[in-house]
Amino acid sequence: MVDPVGDGGRVEIVLIYQSLLGIYGDRGNASVLMKRLEWRGFSPVLSVVEPGDALPDSGHVYLLGGGEDAAQITAVRELTADGGLHRARDRGAVVFAVCAGYQIAGNSFTVGDRDEVITGLGLLDVTTTRGPVRAVGEILSRWRGHQGDEALITGFENHGGYTVLGPSAEPLADVEVGVGNCNDGTEGAVNGTVIGTYPHGPVLVRNPALADHVLELALGRELDPLPRPELTELRRQRLAAARRAAH
Amino acid sequence: MLDRPDQRDRTVTVREISPNSTGRTPTRRSLPGRMARMPPTSTDLLPTAAPRPRSPAGSRARLAAATAAGRLAAIASRAAGRGSGTAIRGQVMLTLDPAALAKLLAGRRIAMVSGTNGKTTTTHFLAAAVREALGPDTDRLVHNADGANLHGGIASALSKHPKADLAMLETDERVVADVVRLGRPEVLVLLNFSRDQLDRHHEITALGRRWRDALAEAGDDGPVVVANADEPLIVWAARTAKRVVWVNTAGTWVQDASLCPSCGAVLVRRQPDETGRSSWACSGCDLAQPTGDYTVIGATITDPDGRVWSPDLNVPGSFNVSNAACALAAAALLGVPADVALAGMRRVTSPAGRFATARFGDTTARLLLAKNPAGWAEALPLATTPTVVLAIDSAAADGRDVSWLWDVDYEQLAGRTVVATGPRAQDLAVRLLYAGVDHRCVPDLAAALAGHPEPVDVIATYTPFQRLRKMGGV
Repeated sequence: MVDPVGDGGRVEIVLIYQSLLGIYGDRGNASVLMKRLEWRGFSPVLSVVEPGDALPDSGHVYLLGGGEDAAQITAVRELTADGGLHRARDRGAVVFAVCAGYQIAGNSFTVGDRDEVITGLGLLDVTTTRGPVRAVGEILSRWRGHQGDEALITGFENHGGYTVLGPSAEPLADVEVGVGNCNDGTEGAVNGTVIGTYPHGPVLVRNPALADHVLELALGRELDPLPRPELTELRRQRLAAARRAAH
Repeated sequence: MLDRPDQRDRTVTVREISPNSTGRTPTRRSLPGRMARMPPTSTDLLPTAAPRPRSPAGSRARLAAATAAGRLAAIASRAAGRGSGTAIRGQVMLTLDPAALAKLLAGRRIAMVSGTNGKTTTTHFLAAAVREALGPDTDRLVHNADGANLHGGIASALSKHPKADLAMLETDERVVADVVRLGRPEVLVLLNFSRDQLDRHHEITALGRRWRDALAEAGDDGPVVVANADEPLIVWAARTAKRVVWVNTAGTWVQDASLCPSCGAVLVRRQPDETGRSSWACSGCDLAQPTGDYTVIGATITDPDGRVWSPDLNVPGSFNVSNAACALAAAALLGVPADVALAGMRRVTSPAGRFATARFGDTTARLLLAKNPAGWAEALPLATTPTVVLAIDSAAADGRDVSWLWDVDYEQLAGRTVVATGPRAQDLAVRLLYAGVDHRCVPDLAAALAGHPEPVDVIATYTPFQRLRKMGGV
């Protein structure tokens, strides 16, 4: 567990390799975390890290986004050589990985037409291989251990890889509409403070409760809700759209 | 410092062309007069191509029947108020005669334009350049001016001008390989390649590979490619062509290029040279930014002979100077001199409704199209009115996933009033909330445009853009 961050304290969000892992507006997740900290009176700092830069050891949240095959391979190589992400996990910082970022956080994933197996970062006990059909569309899932409206996670998934969870990873959610991990009814994976999930969207925009959960884990303290009518209406629309798509 | 072994000494032959000396004169000189001034490497625009070859009677009959059925479908579609009927015309034709596109392409001199952004405007520039050179013979030209750029749209445009021997074709990225194979175009312009509609295209590198393979397969029968030297994926795709004319477009969008499309190594940006221009090179292989045959510097275009042209276009945006440079290069390959080409391009004011000013009740609005982050990066600085209307949809033609909203720098609108409209207005409203931009959310397009006493700039994704054109009659 991390030392709790005091009121108004400095909180560092680390956005990793946008040039490689940022094709689906994934920087939006950083924008959301930064703003929600700012609205609550904290002093957020955004660190944007590109290949060749050392990952800071002072971060509270580390964000991985989506990318193409070649970018995944490069990102794994660079992050393994850097070692900062593993150190972050070891000291209890949050790693939030989306889509291709989720895949590379696992044990292994495959790329290309010949399904070359690439060793992942090993932060999550999951394995990804090419699925029978690409999963593209609105996804709606139910967040494990949470109740009411906030338990519904809405997003857009777009991935060719299918992911199977090993014994030490828990699903993040159960799929209501969409494919999720591998059409087995589960979505995403959690292991300690490492969270992986398929919906981009970006997912923290549409799911403020999940965004605040990430912050609470990272800050080591609870946060007051932050109601915003724009977000309530967006969630209403996207939940309705996902359920329409299911019929 | 970038090594540029074949850089010309541009200080010797430069001459400035004033806008008044570039063929705006209404009297058109005869084409032979123009031909005398052609650069020796150009092909000739002048000779009417040999009559388009006649295919066997049965094949012709089938095409004729398909064309007639397509025309009827288009008339029915228009009568039902469902648009111009271009799409349905093409669909019907290709259903009744799957070989229709190949037959319609045969025997024409074809120049195609493709890329993520700027296709429509660039094709309009190119068609205007050729039209200027043709003088009274404009019926020799066919151009899919409405932007219908898939198989059906191209077939539809060609079927309406069976005798035209010069075809200027805007071509969707996914259709490029087919038209190269079926139509054996002379010229292919590749503008740029960025993330767009990832729900359909998934990975842009794969799309670039299809272009590359098509050009390699066409070999010496393939087109001369006019290619944007600033974009690594374009350069990689174009390198298999028999000949490439490189255009340094002064492109500024770099978010989609970080890894080498050839070997996967990291691309590095080299220090700016003496003209202040930086360039890219791969850290792992020999792929690097080629030296431009044409170069955009500020608002001017330098041609391969070192002449500097001021395009003085009547459409806004520095990206349109880059588009014009590509059109200028393509026009030269078709045999149109630069002064004539630019005179034609200056007649382009609102290609397929882009940059058009329309009335919506008492509101005067200028319409801008932006389909993806790169397009928004170009369009947003052009929207200068105190109130800006932004229209977002996620129909198939827009891309069903609006994640890209978070890759657009809407923060630059802070201090102005934004009206968010269209079916995905709420997604934009949330984006603006996080960007700290004052906004109103008015999903209905007509309501969003009503009641603005001052002119407003409107930026829209594809589907609402087309609706606004219809509503505004432009």
